[in-house]
Amino acid sequence: MPRYRILYTKVGPARYISHLDLLRTFERAARRAGLPLAFTRGFNPHPKIAFAAPLGVGIAGEAEYTDLELDVAMPETEVFRTLSGKLPRGIGLINVKMVPDKAPSLMAAVERATYRAEAKLARQLSAEEINNAINVFMEMPEITVERKNKSGKIKKHDIRPGIFSMSARLNNSTIIIEADLKTGSSGNVRLEEALVAFVKNSRLPIRGEFILYRTGIYSAEEKGKFGDK
Amino acid sequence: MELFHQILPQVQKPARYTGGEWNAVNKDWDEAVLKVAFCFPDVYEVGMSWLGLQIIYGIVNRRAGILMERVFAPWVDMEEKMRESGLALFALESRRPVCDFDVCAFTLQYEMSYSNILNMLDLSGIPLKSEQRNEEHPLVIAGGPCAFNPEPLADIIDLFVIGEGEEAINDFLDLCLEAKRRKLGRKDFLLKAACIQGFYVPSLYCVSYRADGAVQKISPLEENIPEKITKRYVQDLDRVFYPDRPVVPTTSVVHDRIMVEIMRGCSRGCRFCQAGIIYRPVREKKPEKILEQASKLVKNTGYEEISLASLSTSDYSRVQEVARSLLDQHSGSGVGVSLPSLRADNFSLELAQEVQRVRRSSLTFAPEAGTQRLRDVINKGITGDDLLETAGAAFKKGWHAIKLYFMIGLPTETKEDLDGIVMLAKSVLALGREAGVPRGRLRVTVSVSSFVPKAQTPFQWEPQATQDELKKKQAYLAERLRQRGLVYNYHDPGMSFMEAVFARGDRRLGAVLLKAFEVGCKFDGWSEQFHWDNWQKAFKLAGVDPASYAYRRFKHDVSLPWGHIDTGVCGEFLKDEHRRALAGITTGDCRAGACPGCGVCSAFEIRPVYAGG
Repeated sequence: MPRYRILYTKVGPARYISHLDLLRTFERAARRAGLPLAFTRGFNPHPKIAFAAPLGVGIAGEAEYTDLELDVAMPETEVFRTLSGKLPRGIGLINVKMVPDKAPSLMAAVERATYRAEAKLARQLSAEEINNAINVFMEMPEITVERKNKSGKIKKHDIRPGIFSMSARLNNSTIIIEADLKTGSSGNVRLEEALVAFVKNSRLPIRGEFILYRTGIYSAEEKGKFGDK
Repeated sequence: MELFHQILPQVQKPARYTGGEWNAVNKDWDEAVLKVAFCFPDVYEVGMSWLGLQIIYGIVNRRAGILMERVFAPWVDMEEKMRESGLALFALESRRPVCDFDVCAFTLQYEMSYSNILNMLDLSGIPLKSEQRNEEHPLVIAGGPCAFNPEPLADIIDLFVIGEGEEAINDFLDLCLEAKRRKLGRKDFLLKAACIQGFYVPSLYCVSYRADGAVQKISPLEENIPEKITKRYVQDLDRVFYPDRPVVPTTSVVHDRIMVEIMRGCSRGCRFCQAGIIYRPVREKKPEKILEQASKLVKNTGYEEISLASLSTSDYSRVQEVARSLLDQHSGSGVGVSLPSLRADNFSLELAQEVQRVRRSSLTFAPEAGTQRLRDVINKGITGDDLLETAGAAFKKGWHAIKLYFMIGLPTETKEDLDGIVMLAKSVLALGREAGVPRGRLRVTVSVSSFVPKAQTPFQWEPQATQDELKKKQAYLAERLRQRGLVYNYHDPGMSFMEAVFARGDRRLGAVLLKAFEVGCKFDGWSEQFHWDNWQKAFKLAGVDPASYAYRRFKHDVSLPWGHIDTGVCGEFLKDEHRRALAGITTGDCRAGACPGCGVCSAFEIRPVYAGG
């Protein structure tokens, strides 16, 4: 069945839509658009919609991916045109591409993701201080964080191998951190835990909470965004 | 809105507070001359499940120059963050503070939400009592079923709208616009409003009390103001506005589907039921209208399910035909049909089986009482045989769980009636075994609530059973309903008691509400948030004895605190129904042709509307 890979933003109010609710949101938007959604067979059919790595509630997504299967093939431009006017505020279509039948699922292909985090500083810092803090953090051989597993036990994990790169810059009193993190079923690093570890290590005077953005999702072999090949 | 994004990641279900849903209406703030905040005194998921919100929101927002935005009660975690950071209660669409609006319009769906109204006003920085507010504050109005006894909120609310809102809201908006044009003050506005049918301004009425504390008289303070406030109703359901672009939430809500109202009112006449009185007479929509509205709704919402909404869906004259047509038209695009509030009879069962694409594993029936005698008292027109036959058939057709709703504490209830509940439950369970439902999957859930006498019903004169009695009855049932396959649920009798106090309360309860707010009462309908001790403190501080409200038996010849609110159903009919109840005499269904004489048709010069077929 024809499969379409949809590149979109999930910003504004939509950043608070949970992963589960996002599925319903796309299903309803597709129905409003009159797209012939493909459904699974069986007792309780559900639409064939799949996402790349789940995005945490509250993190804005600037380049997110969804695969959507239709019963009938339509031109990519037509899917784009009909769907784009039917999504709730904050979900904006960037691109729609048909993917070959045998292409791996989004979930299986995702390898890493890039992020941006912005926060206010309690006092003015120099670019040098900030770069130093990043360098010290990235030179740590091991960065252990604690995670609760399903049975509620706290386990230690080393996230350092999953932090591919991290940088920081200043915009007046705002610090902007950019990170490239391992994403997927193994070795996944959550942006929030990387930030907590960084702030703890650097003792930077952060005021309030970070505002978070995921800026891209990438597969291993291509070193590029899914939609770009 | 930096603050907003700082707070939201720290609270549960942040999508409750963001707005931006499909079909949400964002009107230009500066272009609107009149701004109304629709305030639902519960969380988003509850409020967004209520059809009335979509109706009113649609009507107001389609008018030029007027905007309506939605406000819900923030859950306790969000409230804490808001108070901590000084963020005032805001509307979802513009995120502007509620105090910037001209009007706050609350809906009163259940008594246990009253404390939330006070909390929401406080979070908006609006004084709680009507008399403390002035021209700078929004006007605070309220409507909905609980407005049929508005008295407990008389000190808080400036203006109540009694009855159905579709036409009344337009009258209200027109008056607001006129007041703006002519620069009418609040007092003059309310005086004018009080002359419109269905509009009740409590501050323009005074209540006198008898030596024993009962209400003696409720009379208007000014000339020209009517003594009785008569409800508003819609004559023709086919012609009245119906929202075909409802807001589609992006987070799951309690009723997350298309709701097409197919009928308003119910002809059955259960004597405990307030909705059965206040929505009289029955008005059915034409099938063509239902199909047309459903098609638009499917297209405009993208929902995967259409629910045929009414008080008693299997009573709608052409329900089978409508359900079939809807399936024919929409099942191809993965849209199903669901039928809430089905009767316990074979017709309903077959209908459910035919229609429901996704088989729900359980069926729900509401016999309400355990014996035929008591079902006759409450005029619940269902027999034990009906129920057992339907349950047996359901098990044979593949259902393996049945839910049964009962009430305890009904007038005239005895031990035999409780035994009747046990017997019915066990008989249903036995039928399940007979039908060969696997033991592990067979489940009969017995949900038992406590009877709350409601204003405007034949049981409005009856006291509630005491909490001790209710607890004993609950324990009695619990002991006897212990069996594999039986699940027994019951309600907190403390909550039912509070509901009873406010359902038949008078305006002296206003002082209690203020104290309850002060001691922190909120979300009383949520068992984990309901604190009996806080309420007792509030009653003590206000010097009010709650038992005298819940356990009061009114005589037929005394004034009732809600006596000035007129549903169109005549008092004599209610008294007669009360007498017949106590004598165990049933009253026929008005649909069947024999007019029971409730008086609503002659009061309004209307007739019940049936779609025929």
